[in-house]
Amino acid sequence: MLHDTTHITDRPVILSLAGLSKTFGTLKAVDDISLSIPEGEFLTIVGPSGSGKSTLVRILAGLEAPTSGDLFLRDTQITQSPANKRPTAMVFQSLALFDHRTVGQNIEFAMKMKGVPAADRRNRALELLQLVRLPEDYYSRPVTQCSGGERQRVALARAFASDPEILFFDEPLSAIDYRLRKTLEVELKELHQRTGRTFVYITHSLEEAMVMSDRIAIMQSGRIVQTGTPAEIYSAPVNRFVASFMGEVNILTLEKDTGGKQVFSEIGQPVQAARGAYAMIRPEALELGPGEITTQLTVTQRLMLGSRTQVHLVSELGATLISELPGTAPELDIGTTHPFSFSTEDIAWMDE
Amino acid sequence: MSQRSSPGPWFAAPVAIFMLVCFAAPIFIVAWYSLMPSRTFGLTGDLTLENYRSAVTDGYTRPLMWSLIGAATTTLATAILAWPTAVILHRYAGRWAAVASALIALPIFISESVRLFGMSVFMMPRGGILAGTMNAVFDIQIGSILNTWSAAQIGMIYIHLPFMLFPLLLGVSLIPADRIEAARDLGATRWQTFREVELPLAAPGLLIGMLLTFVLCLGANAEAAILGGRAVTVITAAIEQRFNYAQDWPMGAALTVIVILVTALIVLPVLSRLDLNRLTRR
Amino acid sequence: MTRGPHTSALQALWIVLILGFLYIPIVSVVLASMANTRYMRFPHKVWSLDAYRDAIASFTTWQIHSISFWIALFVVILAVVLGTLGAVAFARYDWRGRGVFQRLLVLPIFFPQPVLGLALLLSLNAVGLAPSWKTAIFAHLVWIVPIVTLVISIRFFGYDPAQEEAARDLGANRWQVIREVTLPALWPGIFSGALFAFLLSWSNLPLSIYTSGPDTPLPVWLFSRTATNYSPLVPSVAVIGTLISALLVLSLALILLAAKRVRARRP
Repeated sequence: MLHDTTHITDRPVILSLAGLSKTFGTLKAVDDISLSIPEGEFLTIVGPSGSGKSTLVRILAGLEAPTSGDLFLRDTQITQSPANKRPTAMVFQSLALFDHRTVGQNIEFAMKMKGVPAADRRNRALELLQLVRLPEDYYSRPVTQCSGGERQRVALARAFASDPEILFFDEPLSAIDYRLRKTLEVELKELHQRTGRTFVYITHSLEEAMVMSDRIAIMQSGRIVQTGTPAEIYSAPVNRFVASFMGEVNILTLEKDTGGKQVFSEIGQPVQAARGAYAMIRPEALELGPGEITTQLTVTQRLMLGSRTQVHLVSELGATLISELPGTAPELDIGTTHPFSFSTEDIAWMDE
Repeated sequence: MSQRSSPGPWFAAPVAIFMLVCFAAPIFIVAWYSLMPSRTFGLTGDLTLENYRSAVTDGYTRPLMWSLIGAATTTLATAILAWPTAVILHRYAGRWAAVASALIALPIFISESVRLFGMSVFMMPRGGILAGTMNAVFDIQIGSILNTWSAAQIGMIYIHLPFMLFPLLLGVSLIPADRIEAARDLGATRWQTFREVELPLAAPGLLIGMLLTFVLCLGANAEAAILGGRAVTVITAAIEQRFNYAQDWPMGAALTVIVILVTALIVLPVLSRLDLNRLTRR
Repeated sequence: MTRGPHTSALQALWIVLILGFLYIPIVSVVLASMANTRYMRFPHKVWSLDAYRDAIASFTTWQIHSISFWIALFVVILAVVLGTLGAVAFARYDWRGRGVFQRLLVLPIFFPQPVLGLALLLSLNAVGLAPSWKTAIFAHLVWIVPIVTLVISIRFFGYDPAQEEAARDLGANRWQVIREVTLPALWPGIFSGALFAFLLSWSNLPLSIYTSGPDTPLPVWLFSRTATNYSPLVPSVAVIGTLISALLVLSLALILLAAKRVRARRP
């Protein structure tokens, strides 16, 4: 994954969050978040449902007031300014299209609120239709007659129409089927590159975040636990939560055996120079055959993944591991036991 | 996201205040009146339960019984008539079903005095629409049931059929077609399918229809007056008599309270169990 | 499920019978109105529309219709205002006490109307108000407001509240949100609510009969003249009254259709 992020971090900060918190009764939905977002960045905030990411973006958009903390747009304090006074626009999870209106009227809404003359509005709306790759004759079509993907594009055009400095996305692609989602992810990334606007994107899918973002912030129980480029997060997750969030990975626990040596408790193998309490080993790093750290594993399940094969394995100590091998791995019948190994270079160490 | 300070109560306030003044307060006043000594016109007398005692001893249980019988019979009859109608209309959802549903709904908006009057000219002996036609076309002399309790009963079924049908249509539409097919596929007979699948699924609609019909019939008075020829005194007629002719307001109030209590006893348990959101969300 | 031609025919017959049951009395009124004799003797020897001429010429006809009209008009206005606000509380927001509010609000629908009318009559006397067409308005509202609220609420359940936030986010102020998003979405509900309110008020007998005092609305007049003092004037007035409400509904529907056309044509 090639990401050159230096050009972004050099840019001036457009939005800064200073100790933002939001409590609902006893629940801390957002817990003391500080973050600086450079101009033109595509930042994705990832977290499981209930992690507070939606509340956070609603605070940023001005739809919800924080309980404490401050929010700055460049150098202006905007913590208390309402949504309609901020130069930002949001694409909602439900899209929140105005169902009683046409595509054109939806797109023109923000301009109409500003009192832009009808003819100018129309021209701009047609431009925006082009930007989101919708045919011009959609202008007078009721939004209720649009397909799922078309509705996404209308929502996007409508948000762009207010000429916002920052666009917020609250999981707009969560209800879309897989193939269309992939297409729209790529389009969104292209749109970001073409327009140069700041995008703040919320999702529960780290995979989605990896594809699109310049930088990812991972949220857990109202806090941001890690920020970094997709590559950084991929190679060095800060804790087991982030690691497991990335999908199927092997996480091994270190413990001291009776002789005082450090061993992986799941497989009983010793390891030298441990740099954390836990070790993450990606499925593709767990290879068939002996190597630096070798263990005997029994195959319990075999799944074909196209050009690769995923095998579920169980160690002699009863722990479950996963390995991904190239090809069809014909020798790995269910119930057979084989030596598997990984090298210390492929371990990502974590403290918690 | 749940917001702590929802504007909901502010929007509810005008309606709530209106209902408090025009619905709750009158019921309270009537209840208070019912505790006043007989034949007084103020609200300042000594509280007494005398009116309730005489309601039982002076034979007011009879009008109440007639009203309850009328309501029960009508509820049952309209349910039996409405069920197949709702099922048919739902199954043939299409232009004709829509036209038929609209035609069934329409009479709700025609005054019941117009419709009951029509029923009475239809039933009238000799020169009535039915008797006259029979005589002129088939040369048959037929009698008339006008001015009997049966006529009033038919009138009640006639007036309240749409009130049963519409909630039921809503209820029947809650039955997904595949459930019936699944039940048949699993070996259920037609009757078993009805009892085990259709009836429970349509229950909310049926319940509302029955509740509505029963309660509206409990107070029904015009049917007995126009078609029944006052052959039978229903409870509303008895209350009206106390108010108007006998000038015994506290007694009338006591009878009113009794009807309200009977209504509450039937309505409140059912209503507290219904999920109104589920029903209107459709 | 297999369905033979017999079942289909039987089902169609059933619907026809039900419709017959519902419409025979209404047709009977029309037939009865075409007589020129004091007493009903069907079939009429002479079919005539004299009764309609008499009805239109009669001052009473105008009077009872105008009373019904004024009651219905005020009922519509008040019911729509109260019902719209009520529907917002009923369906738009989730708030503590909403469940109780919903149940209490539908209570008047499940209440015997004549009993409600009598209770209101007694209360009016108790507080020293004379019953008139004005008090009948409030009696009607007790029953009609819950219905209108339900009718408008149904619109809300297909409504995405995020639309309002989106409008705010796109620069609309509070009033613009209501005018541009909330009201247009609710409009069909408000319209049907108004229609329901008018028709239910126009045709109401059991509430009017006890609460309108010396002012006699159409249904009350018909009721009392059916019981005593019958003449062909009664069915003809009944037909006229029903036609007026039907015409009103029809013309409103046409206006709405025309408005839609105009809006669709506008770029």
